[in-house]
Amino acid sequence: MALKLTSKVKVKNPLGLHTRPAAAIVKMLQPLKSSVSFTYKNETINARSIMSILMLAARKNSQIVITTEGDDAEAAMRVMVRAFEEQFGEK
Amino acid sequence: MEKAEEIILRGLPISRGIGIGLPLFFSSTDDDIPEISISQSGIEAEVQRYRQALALSRQDVERLQQLSLNDGPPEIVNILGAHLEMLQDPMMTTVIEEKIRSICKNPETIVLKVIDEYKKRFRNIKDGFFQERIRDIIDVSRRVLGHLRPTQAMKLCSVPNNSIILAHDLVPSDTVEATAAQVGAFVTASGGITSHAAIIARAKGIPYVAHVDIKLFKWFDRGRVIVDGTQGIVIVNPTAETLKKYQALKKGQLQNFRLMQNATHLNGETIDGYQVRIFANLEGPNDIDYAIKHGASGVGLLRTEYLLFPRKRFPTEAEQAVIYRKMAKRLEGRPLVIRTYDIGGDKKFEFDPASADAHYFTAIGDEPNPALGCRAIRFLLRFPNLMDAQIRAILRASQYGDVHLLIPMVSDISELRQVRARVAKLSLEMSRKGIKVVRSIPIGCMIEVPSSALLCDAMAKEADFLSVGTNDLVQYVLAADRNNVLTSNIYSPAHPSILRLIRMIVASASRFKKPLLLCGESAADPVMIPLFLGLGIRDFSVASRNIPIVKHIIRKWRILDACQLAEQALEYSCADDLKRFLEERVSSFNG
Repeated sequence: MALKLTSKVKVKNPLGLHTRPAAAIVKMLQPLKSSVSFTYKNETINARSIMSILMLAARKNSQIVITTEGDDAEAAMRVMVRAFEEQFGEK
Repeated sequence: MEKAEEIILRGLPISRGIGIGLPLFFSSTDDDIPEISISQSGIEAEVQRYRQALALSRQDVERLQQLSLNDGPPEIVNILGAHLEMLQDPMMTTVIEEKIRSICKNPETIVLKVIDEYKKRFRNIKDGFFQERIRDIIDVSRRVLGHLRPTQAMKLCSVPNNSIILAHDLVPSDTVEATAAQVGAFVTASGGITSHAAIIARAKGIPYVAHVDIKLFKWFDRGRVIVDGTQGIVIVNPTAETLKKYQALKKGQLQNFRLMQNATHLNGETIDGYQVRIFANLEGPNDIDYAIKHGASGVGLLRTEYLLFPRKRFPTEAEQAVIYRKMAKRLEGRPLVIRTYDIGGDKKFEFDPASADAHYFTAIGDEPNPALGCRAIRFLLRFPNLMDAQIRAILRASQYGDVHLLIPMVSDISELRQVRARVAKLSLEMSRKGIKVVRSIPIGCMIEVPSSALLCDAMAKEADFLSVGTNDLVQYVLAADRNNVLTSNIYSPAHPSILRLIRMIVASASRFKKPLLLCGESAADPVMIPLFLGLGIRDFSVASRNIPIVKHIIRKWRILDACQLAEQALEYSCADDLKRFLEERVSSFNG
C-alpha cells in the first residue's frame, strides 16, 4: 500500500536552498520511487526538480514541509530529513 | 583632432590581474526572437526540435565538464554538474514540452516565457545570493536557445585575442568557454563577487571588473582599454605613460607564469646558501592547493575578512573552525598565520541593511576619516563577541597544525595585551569544557602603523612574532593614499624613511629572537626584494602567484651583495634618487 508521510524541517545551511543543495536533493531522490514535494509559504513543488526548488528561494531558517508518497515513502523521508539535518554536506 | 582624455572608471574588483585590449560588446540577445504560432500538425516537429536542442545542450555541458576535469578547479565541475541536472529537470523537459503543445507557440517563445517567469519571481527576493543563482537558470535556458537558433550565438572562444569583453552580465558558460588568451578581461554592468561567472573568471585568471557603466563606452573612441581587476578600475583612452606602466605590469605577470614551471620545486635560497622562506597570502581556504603547488613555505597571511564576502555576514565560530582546521591540516605542519578581521574604517562591507550583521557597521557609521578610524583590532575590541568567536575558532584549529594568530593594525602595546589576555581566558574555558587546545598559540602584531614601528622593540619583546605590512605602513608613514592619483607618486615603499623603519624593526626582532615576516605588495616587487633581503628580511609573504618570481629573484643574489645594496640605499635621503639608484643597481643583478 502506498504510504503518505509529512514532516517539517528547517533549512540550516547558511546559504539556504541554493543551486548546490538543490542539485544534491535531486540526486539523492533519483534511486527512490516515491513522489516527494516541498511546501513553503503556501507553495508546493516537486522536489525532483532543481529549478522548482530554486524557485522557493528558501533561505536559512525557512520551515519546509516535506511530503513523500509511494512504496518507499519512509526511506525517502529518512533521506530528506537527514539531508536537511546535515546541511547537504555543507556543514 | 585633439587627443581624447584619459578616463578612469571605477567598479567592483572581481578577479585580479591586468588586461589590455580592444573593447568588444558581448551580447547574448534574447530580445528579438519572433513569436511564432504553430499549427497542430506542426507541433510534434517543434517538440522534436526542442528535444534536439536539449540534447545538444547536454552534450555541450558534458564536453565543458570533461575539459574542466583536466585543468579546471573543482568548483567549475560542480557548477556544470548542476547545469546538467537542470537540463534534465522536469521544468525544462516535460513542463516545456507540455507548454509547446498547449500554447502552440515555437519553443523559443516558450523558453523565454519561462525565463521571464523566473526573473519575475527572483526580482522580489531581496537576497543577493539567490539573485545570483537565477543566472544559472538563465544560462541553461540561453544555451538551449542558442541551439534552437544556432546562428545567433556569439561564442567567447571565437573572439579576437585580447578582447576586453563588455557585457551587461555574464552567465557561467560564457566564462567557461573563455580562455585567458582570447579574453583580456571582463567588464560588466551588473554581477556580483559571488556569482558563478566570477568564480570561474578568478579560477582562470581572467581579470574582471563589475558594476561599470558599460553604456559609456558607446561614447568613447574605440581605442585600447586597460582593465585592472586588482584595483577594480577600467581606463579608457590611456595616455602613453599609463599604457607603458600597465604593459610592464602585465609583462611581469606573464614572466611570472613562465617562471612558475621551473621555480616551484626549488628552495628559496641565495647563491651563497642563505635560506629564505616564502609564504603565501591567502583570502580563503580554496586557494591553499594553489599556494602549495607554487611551493609556499606556509600561509603567512590569511585575510579572514574575505570570509565575509560570500556569506555577506560574519562567519560563525563553527564555520571558521572548520575552515581553519582544514587549512592547518592541508599545510601538514607548515605555519598558518591567521590574521583577525581587518575590517571597519575604510574597509567596510556593503551589507544588505536587512542583514543580521549590518548593525556592526551602522554602529560605526560614516567616519570623517575612515583610514584613521575604527578598523581592524580597534573594530574587534569594540565587538568582543566577534573577537571571541574568532579566537575560539583559531584555538580549535590550533591542535591540527602550526597555527599563529596575527593582530592587524596594532598601534599600542595594550591592544596586544588585551588580545593575549582574552586568548588565555578563552583557552582556559575551552580546556575546562574538554575541548582540546594547544597550551599556547603564538600571537603576533602587524607593524603597519608608525607608532608600532617606532615602538618595535617593545612589540618584539612582548609579541611572539612580527609581521610588517608594507601597504599600510607606507601609506601611514608618508601620509599618502596610493589609490589617489594626486598622491600616488608620493606613495612609495622605496622611500628612505621606510627603509630606516624596516632596518629598526629587523634589529628589534633579532634582538628578541622573534620571527619577522614581511608582507604587502612590495614583498613581491623584484626591485625591492634584494633590498629587503639586505636589510635582513628572511621571511616573505606574498600572493601565491608571486611566489615563483620572489624565489627566482632570491636565487640570483648573494647575501653579501644584498647587504651592500641595502647599506648604500640607506644613505639616500631623497626618494627619487634612491629609486634611480635601486633600478640601476638591481636590474643588473636580476637580469
